[in-house]
Amino acid sequence: MKSIFLVAVREYRQIASTRGFWVMLLILPLVIAATQVAGRFIRPQLNSAYVLVDATGQYADSIHHRIELNRQRYELGDLSAYVQRWGAGSAKPDAVWAKGDRWFSEQQVEQFIAEGGAPAALELITPKLPKDAPVYELEPPPVVLADVPAGVPVDQGPDALAAGLAPYLQDVIDTPLGERPLGLAVYIPADVGPASPIRMWTNGAPNASLIDAMRSEVLRIQRAQTLVAKGVAPELAAQLVDTSVPLEVSAPPQGEGRELVAIRSVLPLALSYLLMVTVMVTGSMMLQSVIEERSNKLLESVLACIRPSDLMYGKLLGLGAIGVTIIAVWVGAAVFAAFSVQGMVADIVKPSLAAFNEPWMIIAMMYYFFAGYLIISMLYLAIGALSNSLQDAQSYLMPVIFLITLPVVFMMVQVVQTPNGTLPVVMSWIPLYTPFAMLARMTAGVSMMEVLATGAMLAVFVVIEMYLLGRVFQASLLRTGQPPKLGGFIAMMFGKQTQ
Amino acid sequence: MAILTLDHVVKRFGDFTAVDDLSFSVPEGGIFGFLGGNGAGKTTSLRMALDILRPTSGTIEILGRAPGRENASEIGFLPEERGLYRRMKVLETIVYFGQLKGMDAAKATAEGKRLIERFGLGEWTKATVDKLSKGMQQKVQVAAAMVNSPKLLILDEPFSGLDPVNQQVLEDLVMEMARKGTTVVFSTHVMQHAERMTSRLLLLSRGKKVFEGTQEEARARLPGRLSITSQADPSKLPGVVAAQRTGGTESWSDWDIEMKVGSDLGALLQQCTTSGFALRRFESHRPSLHDVFIRLVGSSQEIAQ
Repeated sequence: MKSIFLVAVREYRQIASTRGFWVMLLILPLVIAATQVAGRFIRPQLNSAYVLVDATGQYADSIHHRIELNRQRYELGDLSAYVQRWGAGSAKPDAVWAKGDRWFSEQQVEQFIAEGGAPAALELITPKLPKDAPVYELEPPPVVLADVPAGVPVDQGPDALAAGLAPYLQDVIDTPLGERPLGLAVYIPADVGPASPIRMWTNGAPNASLIDAMRSEVLRIQRAQTLVAKGVAPELAAQLVDTSVPLEVSAPPQGEGRELVAIRSVLPLALSYLLMVTVMVTGSMMLQSVIEERSNKLLESVLACIRPSDLMYGKLLGLGAIGVTIIAVWVGAAVFAAFSVQGMVADIVKPSLAAFNEPWMIIAMMYYFFAGYLIISMLYLAIGALSNSLQDAQSYLMPVIFLITLPVVFMMVQVVQTPNGTLPVVMSWIPLYTPFAMLARMTAGVSMMEVLATGAMLAVFVVIEMYLLGRVFQASLLRTGQPPKLGGFIAMMFGKQTQ
Repeated sequence: MAILTLDHVVKRFGDFTAVDDLSFSVPEGGIFGFLGGNGAGKTTSLRMALDILRPTSGTIEILGRAPGRENASEIGFLPEERGLYRRMKVLETIVYFGQLKGMDAAKATAEGKRLIERFGLGEWTKATVDKLSKGMQQKVQVAAAMVNSPKLLILDEPFSGLDPVNQQVLEDLVMEMARKGTTVVFSTHVMQHAERMTSRLLLLSRGKKVFEGTQEEARARLPGRLSITSQADPSKLPGVVAAQRTGGTESWSDWDIEMKVGSDLGALLQQCTTSGFALRRFESHRPSLHDVFIRLVGSSQEIAQ
């Protein structure tokens, strides 16, 4: 036992001293951190203020309304996604927010505003939310209208206005919500037209959607005015410019709580994926380690001190510990992100963790993970022992990698849509794929009976595999010459010695 | 008492017989030479003694027990094919092997440091193995084999790859260990080393034993050779198999003489003196171990062929 531990510690230390290990270890925490940081930087500048001086007196109200409509459309989209994710559509099935996030027409947004917007909807939704649902946070409006500060001339033309607002464009301005950076100032001259354009000044970080809203609203009004000037009745002109294609966009497939189910399967799927990634990474480390020992001809010295089986178990243990370290850091980073920061990672991981409400489920997942690790690692270990060089190993490894990854990737894709579909269920009963399939399906209503039966089958398979491949490993350690062909490989499995 | 005994040991790999009905024993104390050409079965025999390989038939006893890793704490082993973990540090490597042999870390570290100094590698203690020259790496491996102060030290071609200076360092160290009571078994096909160091030896050829005994007993297997200068033809002297005149003058001739195996040269000289066989020169040639090897192993291979 001490020998196994010594080998394991040596393997662990050797791998942990490589740069590749640290890159692997830190890649996920760095990606999570980058997601958080990028989220803050990529998000459009919120809460900036704008100033609008409309010398015509006919555009301002329409522009303010357009800006508000745009804001409410985003709010409606976010709220609808939240309702769908947490299966709260039953709060008011015919509400505009109860059918999932999609493209909303102007009428639907108007209806949403008329019914009291997000605050009124949340009063209905909240009692229907599951316990693990995060609170829906109402974002403040991204842009706020500010009055022109006292002392800034509004009736002396655009240049005087620009001069008066210049200090505010470099700083903040008072708004009904407090001080905000002044992002945009707009002047619409009384004779707006090609000779006298609308003037805009920004603080260097212009809000494109705000500018677009102003431009489209002025254009809409001007088109209506042109139509009226050409003799079209004002009501008809208004109808013409407001005409839009009747359109209803549906997201397939519909279904209350579907997104919640998908989110809850994120962690099992991630664990299945993690198993694949870590076992491939540690497996290739194990392979290199055995090939190094064989090609460096130091195995004889080691085997004079310890049994080949101790060497094998030590390697499995040491490199297993490497795998556990990687997973612990990755899962730790995800859980830390879930509970200490806000954002996408938290929204996904929290409910996903909540899906593990049965202790047996956690034990079963650990078992599958462990068994999966042993099954694949033993393959790598045997390949390493058979190979004289990495080139030799590649020829064995390619078919093995394809054999493992391709079906597993197909299965994972299907698990997201139908966790208990034919492919995932069939793969649950093929020992090589059982750990991946069962891990991926774990929170999708797998019965305890299925877990026990596949678990027992897996245990038998692992024992047989370790026995047979263990013989190959031991017989190959001091082998010289070309790697064996299939016949030689099978002979080794059944204890027939070759040299 | 024997520290290592092989009794009718056979080892086959498929149809190939690597060791064929081999029996010998290594007495405790001293240096035992394990001699044979390439493919003679030396390494396979040593691997069986260390339980790295299992014999097809026959029994082995080492340190009074069956071969097994429980003996590792009392055995030091330097294999013919050597290598080290390239990214491990020098001292770490020696300590690791010490610990694999059951030493505690502190003792292995202390002994490791002593050996590192002894081999002149003091300034490389914390360097990784891949920074060392090939010779230095060999010394590290020798140190790893010796770190547990073994009762039985098995060295498979220990001098290969070492320059003459380091060969001498290793030779001195092995002799010192033998003086302190360690039994050393070393295999080699460099006869000069065996001649200088071994007290007993075993000669193998094609997996079979061709000789076991002391160096003197080995030499006695070869016919004695003499160079004499005499007036008369020595062909009729007792024990002479052949005499060849190689030069001389009209009255005194130089002769090369081949004696019968086991002839007593001292007795022959005495007889010449008492019988009036005039001699100006009587020079006996002691066969070297190289001659013994060529004669015994060579003839065995010829027979096998």
